[in-house]
Parts: sequence; structure tokens; C-alpha cells
Amino acid sequence: MRFVIIGGDAAGMSAASRARRSDPELEITVLEQTQDVSYSA
Amino acid sequence: MIDDLVVRQADVFRNKMGIEVLTDHRAEGIDRVGRVVTGKGPQGVFAIPYDHLLVATGATPIMPRQPGWDRPGVMVLKSLDDGRRIKAFLASRPVRSVVIVGMGYIGMEMAEALRAQDIAVAMVKPRPALLPWLASELVETVSATLEKAGVAIHTGFDVAQIVDDGDRLQVMAAAGASLTADMVLVAVGVRPNSDLAAAAGLALGPDRSIAIDAQTRTSDPAIRAAGDCADAFHAVTGQRTWIPLALRANRTGWAAADDVCGKPVTLPAVVGSAVFKVFELGVARTGLTAKEAADAGFEPATVTIHTASRAHAHPGASRIQVHLVGDKGSGRLLGAQMVGREGVAHRINTAAAALHAQMTVEQFSQMDMAYAPPYGPAWDPLLVAANQLIKTL
Repeated sequence: MRFVIIGGDAAGMSAASRARRSDPELEITVLEQTQDVSYSA
Repeated sequence: MIDDLVVRQADVFRNKMGIEVLTDHRAEGIDRVGRVVTGKGPQGVFAIPYDHLLVATGATPIMPRQPGWDRPGVMVLKSLDDGRRIKAFLASRPVRSVVIVGMGYIGMEMAEALRAQDIAVAMVKPRPALLPWLASELVETVSATLEKAGVAIHTGFDVAQIVDDGDRLQVMAAAGASLTADMVLVAVGVRPNSDLAAAAGLALGPDRSIAIDAQTRTSDPAIRAAGDCADAFHAVTGQRTWIPLALRANRTGWAAADDVCGKPVTLPAVVGSAVFKVFELGVARTGLTAKEAADAGFEPATVTIHTASRAHAHPGASRIQVHLVGDKGSGRLLGAQMVGREGVAHRINTAAAALHAQMTVEQFSQMDMAYAPPYGPAWDPLLVAANQLIKTL
């Protein structure tokens, strides 16, 4: 099963990390249009 | 130093967490029938199939379209790249003065950062009130603090155009006034990045945010939305609202993941709690303003009080102002605002808890609150205000 996330900042990377902790088997792909992910502004 | 703001680098997600992070990949289309996201990346176009999709596209600073707003030196501040551009600009030439368009918290925080570098700062906005959502007595404290810090405030200044004379920028008001600056920061608010979702036919909410339910699902149950692009239910009004803030972004991200993984999720409503620092002042709010309360059908009563931030005669005390909004009909507490040098940022959370619990002002006034002389008077400033507000309900 593949979980695709558009956007790699607070919401997107929170979702990616949390999904990974819950399900080690899930395929997780994050599409981020900039070079930066997960910054705290 | 800006890179210190990155909580986790992409490589950590890739190598330690087994998450495929594709940077420089711009999603441009969602095929809901085929369940495929298309877009452009460094290797050209891509098409990635999904079983579950999360739209977490955030928000973008609003940039007016009048002449001159595209000049170099006209900046916004949202992303890390925006911050890098501003720092590079400040380092590349002598910047003596900056005009900030807009007087929200991004503008105020930047005013403080620029004054710390001894750069002259003028803030302009078309409307008459500095912070239209803040009670007038509290606004006076904020504007006095800005003026004391050397920030010039120009309300009623509607920027018509920015003229680049090759050396400096002239910020021209519709009414004829003009200000000279080396840099212009545009901080007039953000809008949700919902074009992709709208083009895919997903239902939208307030301010064109993406409408989601208590499981973060959009109108297509295979697609969830989270963060600044998504809407929320307001615990006080029960209506949909759009208040893009960091805690909500993190929380909706978690909720979306739990829902995808089959865990039970019920996303809570928001109450719009927010705080910012402007020079030595803290400014905080939660819930509704009197105007928002009236617009939502309540019959608002308000009170504004001030007390000392510490017990009587305790050294170092300053003034805390508290503004409360209650409903005459039901007696409910509807909102709270606070301004002060200390004791504001976390005290607002007490009022936020009361709003989540849908307390009346009477119930709120009976709460058992902590006391010690360095932290406040025996009657907490919130209780002083609640006791006053009860009399008007």
C-alpha cells in the first residue's frame, strides 16, 4: 500500500513520520517542491 | 544559521526512517479516478500512483499585483528560502531603512529583528487599526511599544505602487504620501495553497481552504488534507473556519497518518489560540473577538482590565491587560486577549481550556488557579477580568 504526501513541511513530515512508526511496511513517498523539508518557522 | 531551523534533514527521513523524500518535485495534477499524482521533477515529468493521498501544500504569502511589487528588494517571509533571500539582501548592500507593508505578527516580528540591526522601520497598512482584532486599549500598548522602539506607524497608508529608481525604492500611497526604503517586506497575510485540490474537484471551505472532516478526509475519502491548506471546525462557533497555525499543522499531520493506518481518529475543533512577541511585549489571543462573536450570532459583552503581573509590592512587576468576551444570552466565555511584558504567553492557555470545555464566564471565574508572588496576584488577572465580566452578562 502506498501513501503519497504532497508537501514536506510540518503537516506532511509529521504525517510521514507518524505513519512510519505505526506501519513499518507502508510505502511512504513525500513530494516537496523546494529543497527544504520539516523546518520550524 | 537558517539551516538550524530544519528539524530533520531529508536524508534522515530517507536513510533512517525509510521514507522516500523527493525534493524539487512539484505536484501539478491529481487523477482521482486512476489514483495518480503527476508533476515535474529534476528528471522531468513524473506520475506516482497512490492508495492514500495527503495534500499538505501549506499556505503562501499574499502578494498584491500593483506596479512595482515585483522589484528586487520587495520581499515576503514564509519559507526558509524567503529568509535566505532577506538575509542575502541585507548582507549585499547597506540597508538603512525598510518599509513593512502589513501589521500582523510576521510584520511585527520582522520590525523587531530589523530594529535590532539598527535599521529604520516604517510599518504601513490601509486600514485605521494597527491590529483590528485586538481590543483598542491593548492596541494602544502595542503601538506605544512600537513607537518607543523607533518603529514608525502609518495607518491609512494604501500602497498604490513601488517605484525603483535604481538605487532605492519609493513606496507610494494612493493618497499621495510616499516613503523611501532600501527594502520592502510585504506581510499582509497568507492564502491556502488549494489550487491543486480545487482543480481535482475537492470541496473547499472558508477562504478557499480545503474542507476536511474529523478524520482529515476531503470530499474524496482516498484524499486527506492537513496543515495550513486545510480548514477546521471552531469549538466556539461550531462553524468551519480557517486559522493556519503550527500546532494544528502538526496535529492534523498525525491525524491523517493515524487514519491511513486504520487507527481511530477524531480531530478536535480549534479555538484560535495564538501568541506573538513584539519587542518586550507578549500579545496573545484565544477564541472570538467581540465582532466575530456578533457575526456568529452571539450577543457579546466585553471587559478590559489591567493588573500587575506579580503580587503587590513584588519587585519587577509590570502591567498585564486582559480583555474578555462573553455571551449575554448563554453566559458562555467566548474569547480572551492579553498584552503584557510577562505572564501572557502561557496564561492564555487557561482561557483556551475553558473555551474547549465550553465554560460559562461564571464557571471560569470559579477555576482554581495557581498563585505565588513572582507569578501574579492572588486573584489571577484572568479571574479579575471574569469577575468584572459577570456583572455585565
